[in-house]
Amino acid sequence: MAKVMAEDAFEAVVGAHHAEIRRYLLRITARASDADDLSQETFLRAFRAYRALPPGSNVRAWLFTIATNLGRNHFRAQGRRRRAYAAAAQEMRPDAPDRADGQVLAEETRERLERVITGLPGKQRLAFIMRKMHELEYSEIGASLSCSEESARAHVFQALRKVRRSLDGHLPIGMESRA
Amino acid sequence: MSPQPSSCRAIEPDLLSVAAGEAGPAAAGRVEVHVAGCRECREELVHYRALEGMMATVRRAPRPDDDATLARAQLASRLADLRSRMVGFGIFPSPLGRILIGRSEQGVALVEYLPATGSLPAHVRRLLGEDAVEDRAGTEGLRADLVEYLEGRRVRLDWPLDLRRMRSDFQRRVLEATAALPYGAVTSYAGIAARIGAPSAVRPVAQALRWNPLAIVIPCHRVIGNSGALTGYAGRRVELKQRLLAVEGVKTVAAARHDFKVNREAMYTTVTGEQEYCVPTCGDLLSQSLSTLTLFGTREGAEAAGLAPCGSCRPDLHPLPA
Repeated sequence: MAKVMAEDAFEAVVGAHHAEIRRYLLRITARASDADDLSQETFLRAFRAYRALPPGSNVRAWLFTIATNLGRNHFRAQGRRRRAYAAAAQEMRPDAPDRADGQVLAEETRERLERVITGLPGKQRLAFIMRKMHELEYSEIGASLSCSEESARAHVFQALRKVRRSLDGHLPIGMESRA
Repeated sequence: MSPQPSSCRAIEPDLLSVAAGEAGPAAAGRVEVHVAGCRECREELVHYRALEGMMATVRRAPRPDDDATLARAQLASRLADLRSRMVGFGIFPSPLGRILIGRSEQGVALVEYLPATGSLPAHVRRLLGEDAVEDRAGTEGLRADLVEYLEGRRVRLDWPLDLRRMRSDFQRRVLEATAALPYGAVTSYAGIAARIGAPSAVRPVAQALRWNPLAIVIPCHRVIGNSGALTGYAGRRVELKQRLLAVEGVKTVAAARHDFKVNREAMYTTVTGEQEYCVPTCGDLLSQSLSTLTLFGTREGAEAAGLAPCGSCRPDLHPLPA
């Protein structure tokens, strides 16, 4: 009975987090097929370990840690990273002339920003995506990258500086953020 | 870009925090003071805020390839498969020693004798798989059934079985033929080989039974040598085979080298595939190879298997001495 309940609870975990974890993996691999595979692998691993997870754990941060490790292993595999760059460059060319103007602008902004992010060094890129795209806490990012909270913050800040410099002249100054 | 003064470099982390809206009051105050007197950093703050705004837009914007439907469906099917393979197991004492019973969603997957002490043998760990979990509560009912069986209070273990741990299709055929042997009956390895249409594969049959992952449930203890010797069981524990057969009413006598032997002259006998059973002295039964015969310890056993008494030797009128 306890087992059945644990499995139902895991269904809820998949429902709550799969789409976001896949989106995260899509951002770090830039390939939908890799995001499909790695997101499945993340949840299969999570399913095996779920029983041993202490009650009250931060499941979302835990899933990001698994996904991050899988993503890093993925890039460690020879040549993959280079291929991902090439694919990202391919996939990010504007290719939809029938979109409304506002949408095109948003798309271009997104594409430019993502191109810059793709070029960041490994840990900075992962930390940046976790913080700025998924709003994880620095402590959670540190846990995912096996580093301290302070190092996680430093990775994000270094990435921010690089992104800021790369987008010089493309930032929509005047459209003040709500922050 | 001109080189920054050291005060600008020092304020930069705070400035990034302020732009991101994550700065505490102290840092916010420091930034406020600094940018009031530094035009460059004031502009930097504007840029970083614009960048944060841009990222917020991107964060919320839909992506063209952000469709998780396919991955989610594949995940559901892989999880279902993983679940159906996962084994929950219990380890129990029994009249025959320590026994492990494992079950999956499909049914009972493993019944293994364990050494009296120590960790699980390698072949058992392999059969359990890396995802197995101890589940005493989920296997307790099976344990109770098994103990009743070993004490002779139950003649069937009609459990759903998970046969996915077979080593080969050949092993599956051997074990299915063995599972069809009735309670209280014995035949020989050659007899099983004949039943699966591979009469020369006597040794492969013995090997397949040696790695039976469902001891007792698939009654490999009912398969003996052509000579009537029990031959082997659970490694070197042929005494377990003798005890299981005794529970089912099959009498044995001590034989050479720690073995036991079924006394054919004390067994009701049928030619495999025929509808009647006989006393062993009927016709030339005693001179026939065990590979063509099935032996029963009791008349009840033979009749429970659907056999009628032979019309010439009339085992019903002239039973063997008890």
